[in-house]
Amino acid sequence: MRWIVKRLLMALLTIYVVTTITFFLIRFMPGDFVEMMVYYYMTNYGMSEFEAREMVYGLYGVELKDPLWLQYIKYMITLLHGSWGESYITHQPVLKVLLYGLPWTVFLLSTSLTISFVIGIGIGILMAYRRGGVFDNVASVIASISRATPNFILGLLLLYFFAIYYPIFPARSSYDISIKPGFTIEFISSVLYHSFLPMMAYVLTSFGGWALAMRGSAIRVLGEDYIVAAEARGLKSSRISRTYVGRNALLPLFTSFAISLGYMFGGSVFIETYFAYNGIGQIIGLALSWRDYPLIQGGFLLITSAVVISNFIADLLYGLLDPRIRRGGMYE
Amino acid sequence: MPNPLLKTENVSKIFEVGSMFGAKKHIKAVENVSIEIGENEILALVGESGCGKSTLGKLMLALLRQDSGRILYYLNNGYKDIWSLKGEEFKEYRRNAQLIPQDPYTTINPMRNVLSALTPPLLHYKIAKDRKEARKMAAELLTMVGLVPPEDFFKRYSCRLSGGQLQRIAIARAISVKPKFIVADEAVSMLDASLRIEILDLLLNLKKKIKTAYLFITHDLAIARYFARDQRIAIMYLGNIVEIGKTEEIIQNPLHPYTKVLLMSVPIPDPKIARSRGLPKLKSLEIPSLVNPPPGCKFHTRCPYAEKICEEKVPELREVKGRLVACHLL
Amino acid sequence: MNENKIMRIFKRILYDYIYIPLKILSKDKRALFGLIVLIIYILMSIIGPIFVPLNLEPNMEERYQPPSWKHPLGTDFAGRDIFAQIVNGGRDILIAAFLAGFVTIGLGTIIGLIAGYIGGKVDIIVTTLIDIFLTIPGFPLLMIIATWLLQSGITVNILMIAFLLSITSWAGLARSVRSQVLSIKQEPFIEVDKCLGLSKFHIIFKEILPNAMPYIAINFMLSSVSAVYSYTGLMALGLIPYTPGNWGAMIHMAQAYVGTITGAGCWYILAPSLVIIILQVSLVFLSNGIDKIFNPRLREW
Repeated sequence: MRWIVKRLLMALLTIYVVTTITFFLIRFMPGDFVEMMVYYYMTNYGMSEFEAREMVYGLYGVELKDPLWLQYIKYMITLLHGSWGESYITHQPVLKVLLYGLPWTVFLLSTSLTISFVIGIGIGILMAYRRGGVFDNVASVIASISRATPNFILGLLLLYFFAIYYPIFPARSSYDISIKPGFTIEFISSVLYHSFLPMMAYVLTSFGGWALAMRGSAIRVLGEDYIVAAEARGLKSSRISRTYVGRNALLPLFTSFAISLGYMFGGSVFIETYFAYNGIGQIIGLALSWRDYPLIQGGFLLITSAVVISNFIADLLYGLLDPRIRRGGMYE
Repeated sequence: MPNPLLKTENVSKIFEVGSMFGAKKHIKAVENVSIEIGENEILALVGESGCGKSTLGKLMLALLRQDSGRILYYLNNGYKDIWSLKGEEFKEYRRNAQLIPQDPYTTINPMRNVLSALTPPLLHYKIAKDRKEARKMAAELLTMVGLVPPEDFFKRYSCRLSGGQLQRIAIARAISVKPKFIVADEAVSMLDASLRIEILDLLLNLKKKIKTAYLFITHDLAIARYFARDQRIAIMYLGNIVEIGKTEEIIQNPLHPYTKVLLMSVPIPDPKIARSRGLPKLKSLEIPSLVNPPPGCKFHTRCPYAEKICEEKVPELREVKGRLVACHLL
Repeated sequence: MNENKIMRIFKRILYDYIYIPLKILSKDKRALFGLIVLIIYILMSIIGPIFVPLNLEPNMEERYQPPSWKHPLGTDFAGRDIFAQIVNGGRDILIAAFLAGFVTIGLGTIIGLIAGYIGGKVDIIVTTLIDIFLTIPGFPLLMIIATWLLQSGITVNILMIAFLLSITSWAGLARSVRSQVLSIKQEPFIEVDKCLGLSKFHIIFKEILPNAMPYIAINFMLSSVSAVYSYTGLMALGLIPYTPGNWGAMIHMAQAYVGTITGAGCWYILAPSLVIIILQVSLVFLSNGIDKIFNPRLREW
């Protein structure tokens, strides 16, 4: 119980720290940020300086004349009320804009992660069983290349070769805009069609890491005495590989799985920008290039919260899955 | 004994063990132990696994801090608590209290070679002026423990050495600073049987040359008898010393019931004699838990002679027939 | 110090630090491949520009030419020679990558060692810090900081970029160094060291650190890989200022013009992509082999 509470506190602490960091990042940015915003509003919207200042203050919900700590508290309060500010470009609440893209990104990431994980550990366990053989060596090299290739470069190559040069796959968007969203076969197949290339870009650059990790873990487990004992007892080797090797080798990879969720959120900016896939990544990318600060801030917060939550859940699950932790200490 | 080198007074050590989900538990590894060890003498400390003998050894080396009681070291004609020593005095104590650990493979740093395991203390205590002299001294030390030619061993790592060789290096390390007191914590338990006598003889020979005192910790009564013949032996059970005295006297005529049980457990090769000796008549085969020790005399749950007083009162070490025994029935 | 001694020290350095590592690496074919490729890249970056100068004059008639004697890798969207860009573009990336690698392992090792050895309250604070840094998604943070930097008008030099790149990667190494320290602290040989009176400094840096070195060395390579990824990625998104002809810049341009490529333009995309991929792969291979240099137990002889 204490442990769960501790992890929960850590999660909340992290989110809090991130919010604070983003807050101060804006405030302490060198150069005349506020002036720049005011100038922006004056030139693009033809406001007077007074009006522009009011606008900027209004957008951030803070009075810049207030001392910093007061601004901070006011900001936190507005945040907790669910108002994440308003995005410049679309003039819509930040949260709404972000939530529009979230399901797409989650869909893309979770499928890609799952596929690459499954392929990776399958290959990894095969490599461990056939250690030293031809398969192992060849697969190792391929896995290393997979791991080393940056996903955005592969994305670019895939985009060029399979969407432009040989236009097999569509180059833009997460689905065909002319089709109405709904649970129709048409829509679903369009979604899958459009997400194939981005998914490939992810899967091909991440399965290698899983394969190598699983290989290492499985080799370690295979060397343990209880495997030899199981074989001596005459258990079927398929059962051994599933129940004994599989479960024990998978356990340490589990935490990596959760951490990967976080990394994938980061890398998704590239893929989504290249393929014009309407996910969080693209939104943040656009927000960055347009210097839409509220949106950037909100997006970063959202990603971090998602990562923190998924890490927390992973920790919890790990604690439940590993019987050693579940049962507590072993002294008697 | 006049002016023992190192003595412990009512020393206790409690370990806290907690689990992630539950409450913390306490283990009394060492309880109220007072022993002395004199200059140039051997005290064998015998007991089963988990009885606290390693802990006691580490307490005497100031590697662990005791929770109650004092550990006193004889320095400049007086006794000082080792935890109150500072500066030069502490350095003197430190130099004179060394350890030979149990597992030969982790006794030197697996990432560094033999030469770099031997030279740092020589340079630190300025026993050698510079690297060249340290190297020469390291060669002498290796020769002393029987590793010849020493230069062959300088560049080797622990993965390329056998258990026996590694343990000799451990001994070389311990004696390199010429200590007055060495704790040998199960120093031969992980070696092959054939090597054990060799290493024990080596330790005895070195003792003649360097004049150190040994606290020889072991669970093997036979080894203890060999090493500590004509010296003293102490029997430990669940954190208490139950009997302590001259080795031969205890072996020939054990007084404490636990000592008797231990002696009867030593395997005898000749089946006829073994069968006629019979088995110890223990009340129960269950070893009490360290977390919840039995009240009174800790052995009373298994002791064949236990009486009511044994369940209530903790026996103290009293002098009986020239040695100290902790039992109500004597 | 007389000359004899200097000669001996020099010979020892040569032997211990160059000859033996090479001998060890040569047994592992992949690591050797990685090392050779890396050396080629470094040489190319240092002396390449002398032989193949960069010419950034646009020459619209020659855009997207296929490889030929004049342009070994073809030309780009503005008719400029791709080969020259490749040769010149690696310098910044290699410097940033290795610098970032050093900063990462420097920070990570020291923080991990301190937290692990001292323990207590210091440890708790440091661990919390590490956990927080580990959860913050690195790349988005980098993007944001990069954008701020660009906006602020501070001139960015390579050292700053290296620091930036290591902000997100030191935490992982710190955590594993710390756990190594914690487990090594309990080992018997450390207890013997304490009995022998060796100083804390000696124990931390000469006894514990060598045990963590294999992992630190591997982490150096992997941090460099990650730095290359982040650096080229940030440039590809146009978020940090780049010098034209840089590989990341080429990717950025390629991505921007991807819809309009005509002719043999695929070389413009392939060239920087392949060059970056090969660099990463060689670093990864090298990282696998480096384990043996620092861990005497794994050597076969």
